[in-house]
Amino acid sequence: MDRAMSATGAASAGSGRESSRRLDATPVAIAASGEVTALGLGRERLEQAVLANAGGLRDCPRLAGKGFQSTVGGYVPDEVWRSLRERDPAHADAPAFLLADAALREARADLRSGGRNGAPPLVSGGLPSAATADFGGGLTDTIPPSRRGLVLSTTKAEITALERAFHRQAVSALAQRHLFPALLAADLAAAHDIAGPVQCVSIACVSGLLAIQQGALLIQEDKADLVFVVGVDLCSDFVLSGFTVLRSLDPEGCRPFDAGRKGLSLGEGAGAVALARRERLALPALTVTGWGSSNDANHLTGPSRDGSGLALAMNRALRKAGVAPRDIDFVHAHGTGTSYNDAMEGMALRAVFGNPAPPYCSSKGLFGHTLGAAGLLETIVCLIAARHQLLPGTPRLECPDPSVPDSLLRTPRRVESLRRILKLNAGFGGVNAALVLEWGGA
Amino acid sequence: MSEFALLAASFIGAEGSGNDRTGLRPWPDSVAGALQRGELEALGWSTLFSSETSRFGRMELLSRLGLMAVELLDAGFEALEPAQRDAVGVCVETCSGCIAADAQFLQTPMAGTFAYTLPSTVLGEICIRHRFRGPVLCLLPVSGRGGWLEAALGWLNRGEADACVCVACDLMDKKFAASITSPHDAPGGGWQSCAILIGRRTGAGREHPLRPESLPRLARSLVIGGGHRLPPKT
Repeated sequence: MDRAMSATGAASAGSGRESSRRLDATPVAIAASGEVTALGLGRERLEQAVLANAGGLRDCPRLAGKGFQSTVGGYVPDEVWRSLRERDPAHADAPAFLLADAALREARADLRSGGRNGAPPLVSGGLPSAATADFGGGLTDTIPPSRRGLVLSTTKAEITALERAFHRQAVSALAQRHLFPALLAADLAAAHDIAGPVQCVSIACVSGLLAIQQGALLIQEDKADLVFVVGVDLCSDFVLSGFTVLRSLDPEGCRPFDAGRKGLSLGEGAGAVALARRERLALPALTVTGWGSSNDANHLTGPSRDGSGLALAMNRALRKAGVAPRDIDFVHAHGTGTSYNDAMEGMALRAVFGNPAPPYCSSKGLFGHTLGAAGLLETIVCLIAARHQLLPGTPRLECPDPSVPDSLLRTPRRVESLRRILKLNAGFGGVNAALVLEWGGA
Repeated sequence: MSEFALLAASFIGAEGSGNDRTGLRPWPDSVAGALQRGELEALGWSTLFSSETSRFGRMELLSRLGLMAVELLDAGFEALEPAQRDAVGVCVETCSGCIAADAQFLQTPMAGTFAYTLPSTVLGEICIRHRFRGPVLCLLPVSGRGGWLEAALGWLNRGEADACVCVACDLMDKKFAASITSPHDAPGGGWQSCAILIGRRTGAGREHPLRPESLPRLARSLVIGGGHRLPPKT
């Protein structure tokens, strides 16, 4: 046959997927995390908010009068911005760098303390090397900079630099560089003594989950021993304008899966996780056991109405993890608060799990929709949930939409055993992604 | 020898367009004249294809470039069954990303423009046109190119896809590129797009060996070196 596709193995389509193998490489787990959100800097603030089911959305006075559909969102507190700028004045007009750098610092501190925030301590022998001691614990002496990697997840990086240039305001050379997400990734790696592989993933709101997938692959393919995956995005005028023209913002703040939901609330922040081979960590740890992605092939800015695209990604992740739907204890949904997204997710949950679906929640009411940081920050919420053996609630939920599965979690609930979690995100361009995370030992 | 092969390749740039069967075809004078004046809009769908696509006129230029490169593969996608389309992955790599669309949105904030202010929107357009629902990824290369092909080959090796469409596309105003920091830091100006289809070897014609270690060099020769070196039909 003459035409290429007619002659390919795609003629046996589905065979490859059906025979999809379980991850046979060394399992990769989360060794540490760092976060800065509307709730403040550090995991403790996020942890308290998850436990209390208390969101951090607020109105932002500086955005008033600009014609945005809503100015309610997850804005990083002013005092955090002040402290970040005071610590690093060279990057004062490069807020995306400041946030990502702060999350990486937190993750490194978490790693160094070997459990300061409850992360599993690293177990590795040998004497610490002075050159690498900053990475702390017993791990660093065996992981030189060339074996450390970084994967950046972002949708708009330092977009505020383009805004300022457009308005003929001064923009530093550093901020200009970070208009290009890849250069932001390179500079973050340099700032954190990471000399191994560096990648930049930018694929709408699934960027974070696919960045974790890429980070895990770097370790499984033996290209790195320690990989920092960091996600960052800003509440810029640019992005607020975009969602305003789409009429996608809820003027009163998002209410995911609520019958009266009117749209999403944007958030800004950064989340970072450090990935390492699970065998290097003291157990229990949260291990990335499966992943899957898909495209709806339907619409650029709206999800498929039947949820089939997200269901494809979920089934791919379950298959890769080698588990059945009944093995999932909890689903952390995308749950933006838009009418279409939440309805779509409800259908996808029903398609994959039937009735009843596992308990599920959305964290967008905690810190808003943080776009490129969402996958990272929400995976950290899963880490908190696993550590506390607690199913998080859905902040700001008032009256659950009767059309979505009734296992929606309104408030946090302690459970006897939370082992397997399915994490979901979806985004513009019809993209969907899912991760299977497993808490426990070998 | 890998069980996978490069099955088709295409290129579109200022020099012209073509695929591994046709080689490079220079633009007709009418189009080339417009391109020299910087009017990339002159590169209409009808310049290359006789069929119609109603979405094309609404697209931002980066998506147009990527979609045209995939169409130039001439790979017979239209004959695929739905289940086959579910097993086709799409991986995009771009240095410039969507900065041209970002600038356009700042000038005129419209919903139709905002949809294109993501580097990955081109991926969505490709999937919509061909109804591909396999795995997806969009990478912005940090150092060197080739990550897109490695990622796609990984999908094939792990059984996550049966075939992959890999697209590298870039579009940036040369003056803007020159204004951004030092030349070696920022992506260069100009525009080009390249598409590669990889899948399982069949022994049939129109296949090229695909070895992981050669992927970065292959990507470089196809994307940066220029499509004029695309191999002729085997």
